[in-house]
Amino acid sequence: MRLLLAEDDPELSARLGRYLGRQGFAVDSCTDGVETEFSGREIAYDVIVLDLGLPKRPGLEVLANWRKAGVKTPVLILTARDTWQEKVQGLQQGADDYLTKPFNEEELLARLQALIRRNTGTVGDTLSINDWVLDEATQSVSREGERWELTGMEFRLLRYFMLHPGRILSKSRLTEHVYEQDADKDSNVIEVYVNRLRQKLGNEVITTKRGQGYVFGKPPP
Amino acid sequence: MNSLRSRLGFGLIASLIVMIGLLWLMVGQSVKVLLEQQMASRLAHDGEALLGGMRIDVDGRVLLQERRIQGIYQQPYSGHYFQVDAGGQATRSRSLWDAKLPIPDVAAGETRIGYVTGPQQQPLLFWAHGYQKQGRVVHIAVAEDLLALNAGFAQFRWQLAAWSLAMVLLLLLIQQYIVIRSLRPVSAAAADIERLEQGEISTLSEQVPKEVRPLVQAINRLLDRQRQRLHRSREALGNLAHTIKTPLTLLQQLAREKVAGADPATYEQLEHYSRQINERVNQSLRRARLAGDGLGAGRFDLRQDLPVLVDTLHRLHRERRITLHTQLNGIITLPLEQQDGMELLGNLLDNAWKWARSSVSLTLSGPEPLTLIVEDDGPGVDAAAMQSLAQRGVRQDENLPGHGIGLSIVRNLVDEIGGDIAFSASESLGGLQVKIHLGRRT
Repeated sequence: MRLLLAEDDPELSARLGRYLGRQGFAVDSCTDGVETEFSGREIAYDVIVLDLGLPKRPGLEVLANWRKAGVKTPVLILTARDTWQEKVQGLQQGADDYLTKPFNEEELLARLQALIRRNTGTVGDTLSINDWVLDEATQSVSREGERWELTGMEFRLLRYFMLHPGRILSKSRLTEHVYEQDADKDSNVIEVYVNRLRQKLGNEVITTKRGQGYVFGKPPP
Repeated sequence: MNSLRSRLGFGLIASLIVMIGLLWLMVGQSVKVLLEQQMASRLAHDGEALLGGMRIDVDGRVLLQERRIQGIYQQPYSGHYFQVDAGGQATRSRSLWDAKLPIPDVAAGETRIGYVTGPQQQPLLFWAHGYQKQGRVVHIAVAEDLLALNAGFAQFRWQLAAWSLAMVLLLLLIQQYIVIRSLRPVSAAAADIERLEQGEISTLSEQVPKEVRPLVQAINRLLDRQRQRLHRSREALGNLAHTIKTPLTLLQQLAREKVAGADPATYEQLEHYSRQINERVNQSLRRARLAGDGLGAGRFDLRQDLPVLVDTLHRLHRERRITLHTQLNGIITLPLEQQDGMELLGNLLDNAWKWARSSVSLTLSGPEPLTLIVEDDGPGVDAAAMQSLAQRGVRQDENLPGHGIGLSIVRNLVDEIGGDIAFSASESLGGLQVKIHLGRRT
């Protein structure tokens, strides 16, 4: 899950980035409004965390510009401004959720996961496809009582697959959504991780569509 | 006399009465002088006719030609008299009978006009002239009764008075019309101010006469400045919140990360204090952000602002499918500044939203006083908690499960705005009912 974190306080941004990274997000950080607007427009993020008090361009304006330009990425506003007027403004400008500081990280994570699930059309609190159940808290997957621990990258990849079951996902799309911006991107590495998942969970869990990409679960006919 | 209209009215009435009164006196006097001059010239003619028809004998006796004397001078006390004196025995008109007019002699070539009392107390106007004839000075005096003239003049004066009065009344009507018409923009401005206070408009119309415009413009500038100040102060408060909350977030997260595991007791305390800081800051900020009467600032408009707020609540609580039943009873605005109203209703409805199973209702009645009732079909609040909620000034931490913090914010807001709040069990929905009376602005 690729996440854009727009927060102007470097300390908070760094901590939050590390935390979300541990939770399996590929996090890009921005510290000002102009940069944030550009990144959000250019890169297909899965979710955006937006502070309203950004320098150079206010968060609300950034949000309005995204929505005007047709950027549909779910946005969670994370701000110290907690008046209802501001909440109403934020949500009317196209935000999907609103969390006020001080917040705790688990709350933020839960809300981000809910936003992503809602956005991908996944119903319910847990992610489960074809008896496979993904536990986002422990970053593990289970099936019929059996459990497998996942490494960070395996978790990221499997979660993205499970959020888009039955869809053909190209290597470049997978790369885009599991790696952060400055990571050393090599789409062949995806192949390596897919193979590791197959070794752990069985070959049939991910099928290869030659020249197109991979499919989790039942492939389209 | 502290009304422009009555001031203008009284001033105009007084000046009109003085003016018309003076005019009446002047016209009266002029007409009288004119009439008397006319009479005097007639008398002079008669006098000259007498002179033309007379002779003086050697003894200085005056001999008049009877046929040249008008009949009116022959009737006793007819009111027309003459007396001619050529130094000897005076000759008088027969109308004088035996009376004699006390008219002094006038030197030759001179004329005298004056009043004299004639026989039977008749007020007379006389004309007297001294002539040189046949080597003698002849004094001719002709007099006429003024009674008829005076009577006519009196009648004329009454008529003039009646017309003047009619004119005064007509002019007064016209003036009242003019005064009311000219003051209409002032009344309109006053009505504008009333509407401003009711929050129906936010700026006064500057389509007013030149004399009132500076006043209206000054008020508008003041309103504008107040709006800007409110906006700036809210902006500054938002920034302050931002500068406090970010470090506070870091503090809490550091505590959770570094202290919670190693020293749970200290963590508990840190957590408690930082929560306290947050709550106190929030409370102060919320209070500082209130616009108060918000004169000239927009009101919370139930047609525009409520749907947006409700939409926001639906979005924030997407997983809860709550139905809101509203009964506004024709009320269009809350007597609260827009953001104040947003804060009050936002907290109130958000709280109901959190605890409701499926329905929340909002009922308004009023407008004087405006009553706001929010009910939900949630678990409600037990009697003890209800009592603690009702106590003014008691701070509700989150130790009150459920309806704690949200309602304590609402209660503080209502206290600040100036109103009453009451908590009870909802009869129709079964959950909590919050009833708020918003008092009239003072």
